[in-house]
Amino acid sequence: MSQQRMALWAAEADLDEDIHDVDISLAMGSSYQGAAIYEEAAHQPSLDESALLAMAQQAAFAQIPDVVKRFIVHFHQAVLDNNLAEITAAYESGWNRLTEKYYAKTEWPEAEIIAPLVNDDQIFLILYRELYYRHVYSRLQPNIDDRFHSYENSCELFNYLLNSDGPVALELPEQWLWDIIDEFIYQFQSFCAYRAATPTKLKAKSDDELVMLSEGGTQAWSSYSVLNVLYSLIQKSRVNEWLKAKREGRSDEEIGEIVGDYGARPLYRMLGYFSIIGLLRVHVLLGDFTLGLKVMENVELTQKSTVTRVTACHVATYYHVGFCYIMLRRYPDAIRTFVQILNFVLRMRQYHTRSYQYDQINKTADRMYALFAICHALSPSRLDDNILNIVREKYGEQVTKMSKGEEGIPAFEELFLYACPKFISANPPPYDDPDALAALIEDPPTEPAQRHLTLFLSDVRAHVPVPTLRSFLKLYTSLDAAKLANFLDADEEEMVQQMMVLKQASRSVARAALGGGGASEGTEGSSSLSLLEGGYINTSDLSFAIDDNMVHIAESTVGRRYAGWFIRNTEHAQRVLDGLRASPLPGTPQQLQAAAAAAAAVKGGKPQDAQAQDGAAPATGGKKVAWGGAKVAA
Amino acid sequence: MATATSTWLTPPTRTELIENLVSGVDRYNPSNVGILEDYLYHQIRSQEYDCLANLAILKLYQFNPDLYNPDVVVNILLKALTAAPFPDFNLCISLIDDRPVNANPDEPDPLPQLLPLLTNLHNLIHQCRFPAFWTLYRSDSLESIRENYTVECIGFEDSIREVVARAVRATFTRIGKERLGSYVDLQGEELEQFAARQGWTSDSSNFVIPSNPDNQIEAIVVQESIKLPQLSKVIAHSTKTQ
Repeated sequence: MSQQRMALWAAEADLDEDIHDVDISLAMGSSYQGAAIYEEAAHQPSLDESALLAMAQQAAFAQIPDVVKRFIVHFHQAVLDNNLAEITAAYESGWNRLTEKYYAKTEWPEAEIIAPLVNDDQIFLILYRELYYRHVYSRLQPNIDDRFHSYENSCELFNYLLNSDGPVALELPEQWLWDIIDEFIYQFQSFCAYRAATPTKLKAKSDDELVMLSEGGTQAWSSYSVLNVLYSLIQKSRVNEWLKAKREGRSDEEIGEIVGDYGARPLYRMLGYFSIIGLLRVHVLLGDFTLGLKVMENVELTQKSTVTRVTACHVATYYHVGFCYIMLRRYPDAIRTFVQILNFVLRMRQYHTRSYQYDQINKTADRMYALFAICHALSPSRLDDNILNIVREKYGEQVTKMSKGEEGIPAFEELFLYACPKFISANPPPYDDPDALAALIEDPPTEPAQRHLTLFLSDVRAHVPVPTLRSFLKLYTSLDAAKLANFLDADEEEMVQQMMVLKQASRSVARAALGGGGASEGTEGSSSLSLLEGGYINTSDLSFAIDDNMVHIAESTVGRRYAGWFIRNTEHAQRVLDGLRASPLPGTPQQLQAAAAAAAAVKGGKPQDAQAQDGAAPATGGKKVAWGGAKVAA
Repeated sequence: MATATSTWLTPPTRTELIENLVSGVDRYNPSNVGILEDYLYHQIRSQEYDCLANLAILKLYQFNPDLYNPDVVVNILLKALTAAPFPDFNLCISLIDDRPVNANPDEPDPLPQLLPLLTNLHNLIHQCRFPAFWTLYRSDSLESIRENYTVECIGFEDSIREVVARAVRATFTRIGKERLGSYVDLQGEELEQFAARQGWTSDSSNFVIPSNPDNQIEAIVVQESIKLPQLSKVIAHSTKTQ
């Protein structure tokens, strides 16, 4: 089997010639040469073998089920026509349905085999391979060939988009564009994890793999080439300029001039926008949390993003922004970020169950609940009781432990490792230098996730005395330091120093201080400033000061909040009123009666609904049924 | 309005050239590392600090291990120490740990030995254990850092004392002279002068710290305030239905 695969790729040589016509220099060019060396390493097929191959290809073609062939032809036509509706249907449902049916455990047919179906359309074949490899990565185990070839294919795609004469006419659904960028970064991260030189991973690699890694591994999937793609897409599409102009409220004409030929096309604009999010993600993976937030300078984090309706993008953005805030020790900002997106996910849940990305989104949401738990332990707040309750349900045990100082550290560790991004190293191990590689195995470097964990835990350790001190101080309005030290069984001087830690833990830099305020969605004041900006806020309801040796304490209390409840219910009442007004006037006596009955039903439904609080959905649903009944009666 | 982070994001001393490197794509160009390194040494000589520019150096080292210069890294870390309680030190570490083993045995890399010491210093500052910080800092094990690095870093000790002053100002209304002395490693006249520079007045055994938002205690009842945007839907609806 593997023999056949290898040979098939080698036979692709003349196909490669064609693709070479497209200028793939950019930054990825050199890597392509690296891959060419590797091609030579594979067996050159003799003439007889290539004859055999042609037969094998024919046989493989014959094996493709007719329905799949029809699907590919149809899909190709949709792409040729730039028919977004048809492409979306093929992409979101057709492909997945056929995958379930025929390719749940095997690869889709290789691009070369289906090429005759699409008149050898190279662009479509690149798109097809994009799907082909994504399927390999998600359902099967990619081997080293897949890893290099998927990289080359991505390069060919980006090269086609960026280096053709002017913008290309291709149109693809937003979801697919997001998936292209998302998958590109995922495969980058996956390759970095694969090449990492831990002793166990090295032992699992064959000699062939080691040779390939030493020859092509330094170029393919290099950090520079990945960043280059993302920055090129951002610059070509002028998406940052577009975002800025949008925010400044420029007219369409002005914006058209600002963004130019490329930026005017949705394909480029969306790829540019997704590349910004992609950059955020790459910077986070590489441990650069400030730069991650800095590239987001022009992106507004609001619930009603006008830019994209791609939920996965939305969720990924908030996850990474929130994580950056954690590493910047801005826990209140992290909490706000997670609260916003987790509420969004909760609301979306009822509409989104059919999506194949639903599982992925739920997994990310679970990790954000874990991160929220961590932030909450380090900086308790009552921003959103609903989310907090879910966190207690999911991670109750850890939440309890994390409030217990030193013995809670393993709980922080557990949640952090579960919920953190899959950190990578920027550079490959020295596969080209056997001595250095051997030295590395003798003394393996710490894995990236462990390194970031250690850094994070250093802040957790500094926080260790905080919960205990806080709980003691809550009991007093003034207290002698010596007495407090005595309670805690601690040295007085050390305890006083810990009080300064408590003070530091009670204040934080946060965007909320910039005038945004409130738990509501980002207001204009804060959203126009970079995500890195912030002012000081107090994060604790406990304030204290030390006068020589006497600690004075005061506690703030939060008055009960009514506004949210009233606003929600006013809006709800308005929707009910709208519904009533929009319905037809009663005509005949029978209809009148039915309407009265229906109105009673609405009334009956109401109090119950107000209790449930979450909403409009059940109320309107119930009402519709009632009116429908009336019509039937008429 | 100047925010708490604005000087950190763009220090007033940052030149346009550096600003372009920090904010543009040129930050990835290895040939610019010299400019940024010179800027670091300028910061060291003139008591300036620019975290983002220094992170840009570390980013170049991360991607181009052959550029790596341990002296520069140590200086960046010392500068970052003085930014506590902000996370600068850890932000730097997250970029430099990512480094392959030094392959050149002729020039031993001092960083693996120094890094744990610097991390210890940072942990002590971060945990506000200032007397322990000075003890460690003055100890024999840190001789090489003192003699090779901090001696060049103008005002290093004073910058650490500023970190202390920030913590003390937020926590105390009055602080014993002996206690403050142990925090800043100063006695007698020098201590008095330090406190005077902070604007703290002196009585017989204490320094009095003027009140500021952090060392004032107040029992407040926080009332909810409703912002107009929260009501926008309700208001918009009522105008629509009129």
